[in-house]
Amino acid sequence: KMFQLTATPSSALADEPVAIRATGLPPSKVVTLQASLKDEKGNLFQSRAFYRANKAGEIDLEQDPALGGDYVGVHSMGLFWSMKPTVAFQRLLKRDVMNSPFCITLDLYDSVCFKDSATVPPRVSQMVQRWFSGPGVQRKQIREGRVRGALFLPPGEGPFPGIIDLFGNIGGLVEFRASLLASSGFAVLALAYFAYEDLPEKLLEVDLEYFEEAASFLLSHPKIQRPGIGVISVSKGAEIGLAMACYLKQVVATVCINGCNMVVEVPLRYRDLVVPPILPALEYSQVHMSGAVSLQRCFGELLNKSNHQSVLPVEKAEGKILFIVGENDECIHSRAFAERAMDQLRSHGRSTGRMLAYPGAGHLIEPPYAPLCFWSWQHKLACPVVWGGDPVAHASTQEHVWGEIQKFFRQHLVKTTNKL
Amino acid sequence: MAQLTAAPLSALVDEPVHIRATGLTPSQLVCLRASLSDEKGNLFYSQAYYKASDTGEVDLEKDPSLGGDFVGVHPMGLFWSLKPETPLKRLMKRDVMNSPFQIQLKLCDPDVPITNRDSSTLTASLTLERWYVAPGVTRIEVKEGRLRGALFLPPGDNHFPGVIDLFGSGGGLIEFRAGLLASRGFATLALAYWGYDDLPRQLREVDIEYFEEAVNFLLRHPKVLGPGVGILSICKGAEIGLSMAINLKQISATVLINGPNFVISNPHVYRGEVSQPTPYSIELISSNALGFVAFHRVYEQTGDVDSQYFFPIEKAQGHFLFIVGEEDKNINSKCYAQQAIEQLRRNGKENWTLLSYPGAGHLIEPPYSPLCYASRIPYVHPNILWGGDVIPHAAAQEHSWKEIQKFLREHLISTRTSQL
Repeated sequence: KMFQLTATPSSALADEPVAIRATGLPPSKVVTLQASLKDEKGNLFQSRAFYRANKAGEIDLEQDPALGGDYVGVHSMGLFWSMKPTVAFQRLLKRDVMNSPFCITLDLYDSVCFKDSATVPPRVSQMVQRWFSGPGVQRKQIREGRVRGALFLPPGEGPFPGIIDLFGNIGGLVEFRASLLASSGFAVLALAYFAYEDLPEKLLEVDLEYFEEAASFLLSHPKIQRPGIGVISVSKGAEIGLAMACYLKQVVATVCINGCNMVVEVPLRYRDLVVPPILPALEYSQVHMSGAVSLQRCFGELLNKSNHQSVLPVEKAEGKILFIVGENDECIHSRAFAERAMDQLRSHGRSTGRMLAYPGAGHLIEPPYAPLCFWSWQHKLACPVVWGGDPVAHASTQEHVWGEIQKFFRQHLVKTTNKL
Repeated sequence: MAQLTAAPLSALVDEPVHIRATGLTPSQLVCLRASLSDEKGNLFYSQAYYKASDTGEVDLEKDPSLGGDFVGVHPMGLFWSLKPETPLKRLMKRDVMNSPFQIQLKLCDPDVPITNRDSSTLTASLTLERWYVAPGVTRIEVKEGRLRGALFLPPGDNHFPGVIDLFGSGGGLIEFRAGLLASRGFATLALAYWGYDDLPRQLREVDIEYFEEAVNFLLRHPKVLGPGVGILSICKGAEIGLSMAINLKQISATVLINGPNFVISNPHVYRGEVSQPTPYSIELISSNALGFVAFHRVYEQTGDVDSQYFFPIEKAQGHFLFIVGEEDKNINSKCYAQQAIEQLRRNGKENWTLLSYPGAGHLIEPPYSPLCYASRIPYVHPNILWGGDVIPHAAAQEHSWKEIQKFLREHLISTRTSQL
């Protein structure tokens, strides 16, 4: 009997599911499925799960449960989201999103293999390509005025709804989410704001006029819809995204993932306004048993202090805001901050906010099937930081959130043609 | 002038230390750091943040840590929260006679961010000695017949109750617990059974006659009180300890820490009778978000449920103390202790005590030992998850050590007086 392993589609966008099946196995045999990927720096990420073939010698990941390994139960994309770095504290992040995919090797071993170096070769292997930009998506390097980033345009004439994509204290330019969103029909500007090209090396203040320039640039582009744009933002980026929603009229739809509703660590400036930051109390940090540091309580303590001058005036936001909260966020007390913002909206009679809270999800909520990054090295603090998250819950959160984000932007950005 | 005091400066590892800082400004925020270098030069660190009182003092017996490696009032927290600089290293003293562990305690300004570098201003420091043997304890290399180990004798001319100390995990000769137990008045034989001297390099079978030789050796010794001996055992050692207690009449008291009530991996042999190892399902292992592997489900279909595999514990004549860490992720300890106890009950026997500790993991060691949450052992997959939550695990270690000594005294000493 010939061992066969199929993965369909074998080449797809990273946010598309893959159907994995194995046939030609000995009936009822317990086998190992292993996924391996080398990132652009050569770091190895792997996952494995143990399945039992049925009487016909088949395994179908869409129906059959993993018995053990990196996940347990029926999780058709489990091999993707449970991949872990072989060297601790590394985060999987695609840098070149246009020219190459992540190549994942799926190996099937006809026994239970859980050692890092399998002593037997796999019986059959299959390669799967995961792309971060769809056919026809264009990337344009942006150096307009002070604005630094990359604009991703869907194929076609447009105009397309425009979105600014902001990451956090990782700095530099992170493009993979912008390119994936562009592949779903949005014009997305991945915007850098520090540690990139001639931008400041360190974030010493948030100059909202820089982000206003970026918004104006986007709205002036011939392929981008007017009059309003959206913002998708995570972590420190979400604090900035929320500030943009408060102060910039052009921002009509903002997604804030695991951010604070206060100005934190560095001041916020917008024209004459200077909003002083609240400083996290690092003495409340906790060292996780891995040695990585959880910062959640440092920010949590901020909630006990009444620091109105640092709180962002969400009631001033004219557009819609969607707060996405991972309840197992070990970096910040995400839920508490989002609830404070929602309370503030309500107390001002505003119904512009909505919160989606996900039990078990951690800080780094990414597009679907991205491996849970539970901890990684944080350059600013020069130590490993715990982001948190329970793998299964985090994975299903990422799937659900991605759909909600696109629904949100389509609802509030796309012009309905019968509007007069 | 800021001052740091700790008393006693030199003590046994199972003795608490009272740490205080004085001469601070009122409400001053300080950091207390502990560091240790083991015999191979591996570094271990811990830290905690405290706020001085109105009188400029910090007293670890009364004041709560705000953050760091532990939170709350934990006078010995700096000891049991020590973490390896190189992940997964386990702290274990090899030479117990000639040198203590030296712990550097430092009082410093809070280091922001948290790093292990000694970059913060050093205000005061001192060195503590933590010994595994009391003054006057003697160590005798044991190389009689097949026996390989080390006998630790308390000081003095008396007779002492005899105990055999058995570890599991990686084989070799582990002496630290035996040295401590001898310091508390027991003649303790740290017994190796594989991976040491001319013993088998790998464990092939458990020959109970080897352990019977050890029992006879101990009882023959002029300083050992008879007529029975005790066993202090953990993990694989506890599996063997249980087998010994059943087959050897001279076992009066057996402490079983996180052990199975059935044969694991290697057959037990005693005078021609062979007990085969219990079948297991290796595919039921699972990795957590950090990539550490839990083995506690592999006997789910056999040893967890089927009494055909259970040791005939009702045949044992001595007393049992079961010590269970309920968060043990290596073996299903709680289930196995309950099965063994149920079997004793059904046979009308009451010769047992159970101490079950919520939050404690697999490696329950003497008090103030750092929680080893995961580590590597030879011949097995790296990154084995032992489990345990730091604070309850520390409490379990403190409580169980006292109970172990009480139990051994009760069942090893009283029998003698009843024979007069």
